[in-house]
Amino acid sequence: MSMNDPIARGLAAGWNVTDASKLSENRTVEADVVVIGTGAGGGTTAEILARQGLSVILVEEGRLYYQKDFKMDELTSYANLYQEGMSRVTADGAIAILQGRCVGGSTTVNWTSSFRTPDETLTYWSQELGLEGLAPDAMAPWFEGREQRHNMAPWETPPNLNNDILRQGCEKLGYSWQVIPRNVKGCWNSGYCGVGCPTNAKQGALLTTIPGALDHKAQLFHGLRAERLVMSQDRIDHLLASAMGPDGVTPSGIMVTLKARQFVVAASAIGSPGLLLRSQLPDPYQRVGKRSFIHPVNATVARMPAKIDPFYGAPQSIYSDEFNFKAGTDGPAGYKLEVPPLHPAMAAGVVPGHGQPQRDNLGQLPWMQSVIALLRDGFHPDSPGGTVSLRDDGSPVLDYPITDYLWQGLRKAYLTMAEIQFAAGAEAVQAMHLDSDWYTTWNQARDAINNLPMKPHRARLFTAHQMGGCSMGTDPKTSVVNGFGEHHHIANLNIHDASIFPTSIGANPQLSVYALAARNSSRLAQRLANSA
Amino acid sequence: MTSQHDTKNSCQPDVSRRSFLKTGLGGAVFLSTVSLSAGLTGCATAPAGRVSAVDSRMDTRYQFQFLSRDDIALFEALLPAMFAGALPEEPNQRRFAIAGTIERIDQGIVKFGPANQQELRKLFDLLNFAPTRIALARVWSDWPSVSTADADAFLRRWRDSRIGLLNNGYIALTKISNVAFYGHEDHWHLSGYPGPPAWMVDALPQFNPAA
Repeated sequence: MSMNDPIARGLAAGWNVTDASKLSENRTVEADVVVIGTGAGGGTTAEILARQGLSVILVEEGRLYYQKDFKMDELTSYANLYQEGMSRVTADGAIAILQGRCVGGSTTVNWTSSFRTPDETLTYWSQELGLEGLAPDAMAPWFEGREQRHNMAPWETPPNLNNDILRQGCEKLGYSWQVIPRNVKGCWNSGYCGVGCPTNAKQGALLTTIPGALDHKAQLFHGLRAERLVMSQDRIDHLLASAMGPDGVTPSGIMVTLKARQFVVAASAIGSPGLLLRSQLPDPYQRVGKRSFIHPVNATVARMPAKIDPFYGAPQSIYSDEFNFKAGTDGPAGYKLEVPPLHPAMAAGVVPGHGQPQRDNLGQLPWMQSVIALLRDGFHPDSPGGTVSLRDDGSPVLDYPITDYLWQGLRKAYLTMAEIQFAAGAEAVQAMHLDSDWYTTWNQARDAINNLPMKPHRARLFTAHQMGGCSMGTDPKTSVVNGFGEHHHIANLNIHDASIFPTSIGANPQLSVYALAARNSSRLAQRLANSA
Repeated sequence: MTSQHDTKNSCQPDVSRRSFLKTGLGGAVFLSTVSLSAGLTGCATAPAGRVSAVDSRMDTRYQFQFLSRDDIALFEALLPAMFAGALPEEPNQRRFAIAGTIERIDQGIVKFGPANQQELRKLFDLLNFAPTRIALARVWSDWPSVSTADADAFLRRWRDSRIGLLNNGYIALTKISNVAFYGHEDHWHLSGYPGPPAWMVDALPQFNPAA
């Protein structure tokens, strides 16, 4: 393996990394801090604490994959790098959940879009929810710091045609559009972000904060699932974790006990509430797992006269916020417009169908363009979100009922996306919905979309952004942690991931997670230094 | 492993253990625990392991970890309808493409983990257990005798049904099949996908470990 790869180099240089599938007997380890999860939140936390001289252990359920494994292959990547082998869905199966499960978490497989939390969202949190410390001015330096750490900047290369169609359509219709900031360094513009960056250009947790933590003597266990936080009196005493076998999904029976004076949970908006519920931690007002948000996503596809090759080029480079906050922060459901990359397995999984029509649809892939809408959920009273609970086997599952309020937003989003695609010259447009035909004019599409049944399963829905479930707030009756991610009832427990968001973000959340985790980790480092 | 096949006829789900879940539409029922009772009796839902090349055209080296003999028969019946117009015409190539896709479906499901495996077990069992297959799928004969036209009609019925549960079954069956088929290198040409750019493959160390 090339020694130009920082992970290979670090491992060779003696990083303290343990593949739990190789453990042959139970063991107990101890550190100042145990961080559960290695995504945007966990990686940031581990690096900041380790740089302060604290001993840190990182626990990751997924395995460590890096450049040697990233071969631009969809099937192996979806099977290995995503939660439940890319089969994760909501409780009723109506919404597909795309979420990372590997060292680096979703930042290893995301499409690199790097937005600050919108001012409207921060203002809503600080003014409506009482989280005064999170006002836009107060958060700005934290965003700036993380933008530097992850090399985030607006994409300067011209967008691929898939993205440019969104720009062209918005231009024609007078809708605003902007260039997306991306967290890349020396990007080859190839389009394979979603299957693990093959060129080490993506500056996700895997190539930034995780190496930063390991360089400062942090220890990483991968293939190790956090089962239960165990309390002794009013504090967390240890974490009980089970090793996965070589397949990465079946427990081997080996258990690891991790002791620390401080625990930070950053296991995602599904994993973190799941861990707290399994651990039966104090939750007097039953807030854990409540108000889970997902930015529900729907999509349209267009057949364009020119070749789009939607599988090549930076997957996301243009967005439109024209409809995101248009009707006010807590008005009718707003949505952000973006573009997804379309590789064959992704396209075949997303476009519902079978037989000759499916073959004909997928045969047009090089001419296919797609737009997605990400609904901003959690701001309006009729968008209370979903609930994370535990299955019989202790694994977490998200139940997300779609309210009429959201259905209205989804229908409007279908209309907007079709309108934009026709404005950009589409020959035909199809909504990703079991009852949608290919429409050849905007008028035809508008009439048909206005009559599509807005029902679970028939409308094809997705989420790549899981948020909430351990909401932050000032009142323990309505939240799990305070504005610094500190648990309301347990002194040595912090939560540093997207699960603490009290609403959705209204933008791809990675920078929101990085920034909040950096802010809250700096405070935690200070507190731990004072109590040492 | 072949003993599982030999004894499968004796493994009928225990009817007395079934539980019924009303879907609220036309009194349709979903046998949620057919799989549980069938599983308890032992055989029909056991992974098929290695399958003889003679009767299936499977790669005999491939070890099935999730799909049972009955599940394989189900997909052998469904895939010709699922990929009408996409499968090779030549009989051996066609069988090879179907068999390879079923193996990849099995590989994919292994990584789904226990919870979703259990969901699929329920789905496959209700499609393989004659009373539920007839009641919910309206498929009257065993899968090995189902024609491509009948398999297509079944898929359409579930797609167009007003019952969300059946729509969900359609999505589950088509999604795992579509991904395993169109996502594989052998079938990229069908979607006009040229694959990873050759210049990248040439330049990147993970494809040139000796360099």
